[in-house]
Amino acid sequence: MNFWETITGSDLTREWKAFETRAEALPADYRAAWEEIKGHLSSYADFTGRNLTPIVDNALGLLEETAADGQSIHEVLGGDIEGFCAALAGGEGARSYRDRWREQLNRNVARKLGRLGG
Amino acid sequence: MDDLTEMLKGTLEGCVLEIIGSEETYGYAITRRLHELGFADVVEGTVYTILLRLEKNGLVQVTKRPSGMGPPRKFYALNDAGRKELATFWAKWEYITSRLDKLKEGGR
Repeated sequence: MNFWETITGSDLTREWKAFETRAEALPADYRAAWEEIKGHLSSYADFTGRNLTPIVDNALGLLEETAADGQSIHEVLGGDIEGFCAALAGGEGARSYRDRWREQLNRNVARKLGRLGG
Repeated sequence: MDDLTEMLKGTLEGCVLEIIGSEETYGYAITRRLHELGFADVVEGTVYTILLRLEKNGLVQVTKRPSGMGPPRKFYALNDAGRKELATFWAKWEYITSRLDKLKEGGR
């Protein structure tokens, strides 16, 4: 990744384009799951989303492998796509922007309560 | 048996280690083996995330091999750290089951 790519994120755009091209080759029910996976994974993104590309690449790889095996998407992911994404992103402990918001909120509330003399 | 998933969660990693320990194998085959054992609720995605974790923790050796169709498959084999982890798993399992048996028999 060179400086230009860091600033513009052009490498990310290119990678995501490649992901989408791969996803288009998947069967319809897999494509629906792919959309859902992207939605869930986005909550684990860091500021640029650069941390997600290897994870997304892995997930897409699994979809490609299992689709080629002729498995149904239900056999592959079951009903819990959200849980699958959480595990992929490194478990419940994976820090995302949501965690940081939550932390900030908690801190603010604690400070306010402290000021009230609670 | 239904609803084993919650109880199985902590031990599934050990199960997968044991399966890989007996022969080099890949995700789909591991899932099928678990189904044969009676763990029908386990889906390939779950096994896949466990495999990723094992790989990240340096417990397995991964080899990519071309498959009959589609993209190449990842084959997993235990390395020394993996074998050690597997032994630890069975030791912990032994401990838990012996305690639970005791509890069930009403001993102290």
